[in-house]
Amino acid sequence: MKTKIALLIAVLTLSFSVTAQVDRSIQPKPGPAPKVKLGKAETFTLDNGLKVIIVENHKLPRASASLTIDNKPYVEGDKIGVSQLMGGLLGRGTKNITKDAFNEKVDYLGANVSFHSNGANARSLKKYFSEVLSLMADGVKNSNFTKEEFDKQVKLTLDGIKSNAKSVTAVARRVESALIFGKNHPSGEFATKKSIENISLEDVKNNYNAYYKPNNAYLVIVGDVNTKKIKKQVVSLFSNWEKGSIPTTTVPAIKNVPHTEIDFINMDNAVQSEIVIANTINLKLGDKKYYAALLANSILGGSGTARLFMNLREDKGYTYGSYSSIRQSRYAASFRASASVRNIVTDSSVVELQKEINKIRFQKVTAEELKNAKAAYIGSFVMNVQKPSTAARFALNIAMYDLPKDYYENYLANINAVSLQEVQDAAHQFFTGNKARIIITGKGIDVLKNLEKLKYNINYFDKNANPTVKPKMNMPIPAGLTATNVVDTYFKAIGGADKAHAIKTIMTSSDAKVQGMAINLTTKTAAPNKTSVVVFGMGQTLSKQVFDGSKGYAEQQGRRTDLTGEKLKEAKENSGLFKDDLYKSGSLDRIENLEGKPAYVVISGKTEVYYDVKSGLKVKEVVTSKAGGKEVKNPVNFSDYKVVNGIKFPHKISMKMGPMSMEFIVKEIKINEGVTDADFK
Amino acid sequence: MKKNILALGLSLFAFANTQAQKVEFEEYTLKNGLHVILHQDNTAPVVTTAVMYHVGAKDEQPNRTGMAHFFEHLLFEGTKNIKKGEWFKIVSSNGGNNNANTTDDRTYYYEVFPSNNLKLGLWMESERLLHPVINQGGVDTQNEVVKEEKRLRVDNQPYGGFLANVKKHMFSKHPYKGTTIGKMKHLDDATLEEFIAFNKKFYVPNNATLVVAGDIQKPETKKLINDYFGSIPRGKAIERNFPKEAPITTQINAKAYDANIQIPAIMAAYRTPSFKTRDARVLDMISSYLSDGRSSKLYKKMVDEKKMALQVGAINLSQEDYGMYILYGLPQGKNTLESLVSGIDEEVVKIQTTLISEKAYQKLQNKFENRFVNSNASVDGVANSLARFHVLYGDTNLINTEIDIYRSITREEIRNVAKKYLNKNQRLLLEYLPKKDTK
Repeated sequence: MKTKIALLIAVLTLSFSVTAQVDRSIQPKPGPAPKVKLGKAETFTLDNGLKVIIVENHKLPRASASLTIDNKPYVEGDKIGVSQLMGGLLGRGTKNITKDAFNEKVDYLGANVSFHSNGANARSLKKYFSEVLSLMADGVKNSNFTKEEFDKQVKLTLDGIKSNAKSVTAVARRVESALIFGKNHPSGEFATKKSIENISLEDVKNNYNAYYKPNNAYLVIVGDVNTKKIKKQVVSLFSNWEKGSIPTTTVPAIKNVPHTEIDFINMDNAVQSEIVIANTINLKLGDKKYYAALLANSILGGSGTARLFMNLREDKGYTYGSYSSIRQSRYAASFRASASVRNIVTDSSVVELQKEINKIRFQKVTAEELKNAKAAYIGSFVMNVQKPSTAARFALNIAMYDLPKDYYENYLANINAVSLQEVQDAAHQFFTGNKARIIITGKGIDVLKNLEKLKYNINYFDKNANPTVKPKMNMPIPAGLTATNVVDTYFKAIGGADKAHAIKTIMTSSDAKVQGMAINLTTKTAAPNKTSVVVFGMGQTLSKQVFDGSKGYAEQQGRRTDLTGEKLKEAKENSGLFKDDLYKSGSLDRIENLEGKPAYVVISGKTEVYYDVKSGLKVKEVVTSKAGGKEVKNPVNFSDYKVVNGIKFPHKISMKMGPMSMEFIVKEIKINEGVTDADFK
Repeated sequence: MKKNILALGLSLFAFANTQAQKVEFEEYTLKNGLHVILHQDNTAPVVTTAVMYHVGAKDEQPNRTGMAHFFEHLLFEGTKNIKKGEWFKIVSSNGGNNNANTTDDRTYYYEVFPSNNLKLGLWMESERLLHPVINQGGVDTQNEVVKEEKRLRVDNQPYGGFLANVKKHMFSKHPYKGTTIGKMKHLDDATLEEFIAFNKKFYVPNNATLVVAGDIQKPETKKLINDYFGSIPRGKAIERNFPKEAPITTQINAKAYDANIQIPAIMAAYRTPSFKTRDARVLDMISSYLSDGRSSKLYKKMVDEKKMALQVGAINLSQEDYGMYILYGLPQGKNTLESLVSGIDEEVVKIQTTLISEKAYQKLQNKFENRFVNSNASVDGVANSLARFHVLYGDTNLINTEIDIYRSITREEIRNVAKKYLNKNQRLLLEYLPKKDTK
């Protein structure tokens, strides 16, 4: 009895685990929210002004130290690059240790110690941290600045500038900041060859002595440390770092453009356009509107679920990603919406970006969007809050921005409290779509034509943000290239000049719809220069033109007119199996972009012939003729080349006659058959 | 004697350290072939759910490069129960973040959520394994997106094209000769039918490893895994027969051009064995010795002392079937590419003929110790490592024991491995030059 029941239970439990079913059609709901615990940070200040923040975490046997010098930004002017050079030279030997010995020691300990113009960083295993912190302190306080190292660094810096000269993204970022803030603003100025060459070793030393001081500095230590012990060490290492009298500076005021404009920077090697729509704002941590601004930005372009991404990437496929960012700052706050898009959709992308910016300014976002944006912030906060680096960052922000001590304890509540109206107000205030710079770094010959169709003024800038002129819209012709070369390449591309010229007759039959009516165009040509063109529709021959080598006629609805004078001359010129032979005696005028693809343009008489640079094939012909006393251009486009008897022929021919456009699809091509002398009578 | 005590002391100390840092995990395989790895860490309220599929760019047809990565994009387009466009929204509206990445060898998808959303993460990954929606609309959109990704990351970036050129010359038979991102034409040519076939062949539980790491309770987690993944049907076993490369015996000379650079670069690339081999680990150390840090051989000589190079380095690009060991340099001022190669070759010859110093050896050990401590610092980092060691190396516990391999490498081995793989006649010398200006 007992065993039977036991067996039954065993069978039942077995079957439960095997056939456990869940309803997949229902999205699982979250469990109870995890508790949020803010990490603890210890802070104290040295007499020289250095503020120290310590966060203990014993999960891994490692520790890090980060020094941030938070002076008010200043303009370097004609010596821009001096602080960057100074930062690059820090730590190359001190009064107490040579450069080589310093580097050997750091590397030997498997540690990382680095310096820059606004601070320093060090990290290592716990067991070496005390030694590594001393090395960092030594570099901070006692760095040597030698002529030898200075010369090396200048050379490296100049080469670095040179190496980025053709980088589209590097140029874009530099010019964007220069335009947004102005070239004479600490956030807008940038180093050039000229400014770097204007800097001396004395300048570097002066910069270090003036600015690299503890007055406004913060030292953050995180990791497997003992607070008491590390405090003692910090005091002993940094107390003698002398306070300085840091020069007072005024940061120039920044303003927006009065009307939205396009600022264009031409780079011939760009395969994508870097588009950034930007304006400056007044926003910093601690402002009441900060949370609303964050959420508005998040909904517009803060992630892969935001409006910009869903529109420009997921819907239109213009880009790998489009985002917006709102950068708070005490001195240079800004809003940017950006996308890197392929050249041909640059204008459309600008339209979509502006559309989204305007939409969020003038229409409230949906309750669902706001709910989701809040959830994303809250989730991120919850997941990061327990990291020791987060506790350190919070303490640093509270100190730097003079925030209330419980700022982060109220973070979640403040995020939750933002209303739909507040989001719209923030969008309206901070995303000034009507007073923005649309900064585009890209390939002018591909994108300017369409950008000009948008309703903005376009200003042109060079790679150094100086105003310049509109770039040339044509590409230069390679030296020595002639019309003959281009036509020869064409013949090669279609299968070979010899093969082409050996053909005796060609018959082409194409269909098209003209004003709703189906018509057929049949052309017959015979070597050397006999032509017949017949248009057939509505069960009858609509028009016909024949040339037998010396004379010809045109027939329209039964009425026949002989070809004379101009018309006869034209017929003579346009006969022959391959008109292109005639074009050899034309002139190679320019290279023009057709829908992003460059084409050689040969001018022969009244015809402009376009041959695709890459493939060599003829893609367009434009015949200029007189109609009613005016000059009219009639473009004909050739595409869909297919091989017939070893020679490539276009199978799609579209032409425009005034407002009328016709597209002929070639149905049949016969080589050396289907054509007799009778066709030319 | 001294050396032995030193080595002994180091290994004892290291042993103490590893014990404190061991990554605990549990693994098992479901009936349908899905391999499961669990790692519990309740110190932060975060959980990572991730799936690594053993399919990458090397599984593509030669005229369809880029398909594996393109397919990765398609797996975000929706499933039977997740509407198109909803995927990212579900993640972020539940406080999480997610991403995926593809290499030549494997594709990895992961979500990181606050720990009260474990069920959601499992549901989402099981949905895309069981019944993803793969349709023409998704293919058309993601085709453009992937082409933009190539333009952004490669075509518009200085030196972006160097890896494609190295691979093209280093491999003639093995699929590593193509790139993960693929060629524009191949991306355009890929059809819906091909994607559906790709999904059917490679995206099956017997080709996948699920990792759940973070603030979990194991019994509950196992049950949920069974609920969502247990009934997904097993797929056909996958046969792989990648062609082998004949060894390189004469130096290959090649040139490549890049319109985005002003300063040329020289690359010397050697073909090396899979990252699963001991030799590959020795090459890691050689790479670190030559170019990691300001006191490294190449940096010190060529950037600092002789001022010949703007940048110089060594990269050990190890993969599942083969590796590429790449030494590169950018010349400073008027120095030529040849002079850079000579300078680099000098150091390579030294390491092939003489043992590195005791101090340098110690330095290497310290560096790798550091790397080890930092490698398992985050839960999502641990998740990725667990998946990687199982799927590509066949031994999940390497997350704890790989450091022992490095600790046991000797100075002699360093010399011998350098002698075996880094010879001039075994390499590609690639001149990576600026495209001539048309302006």
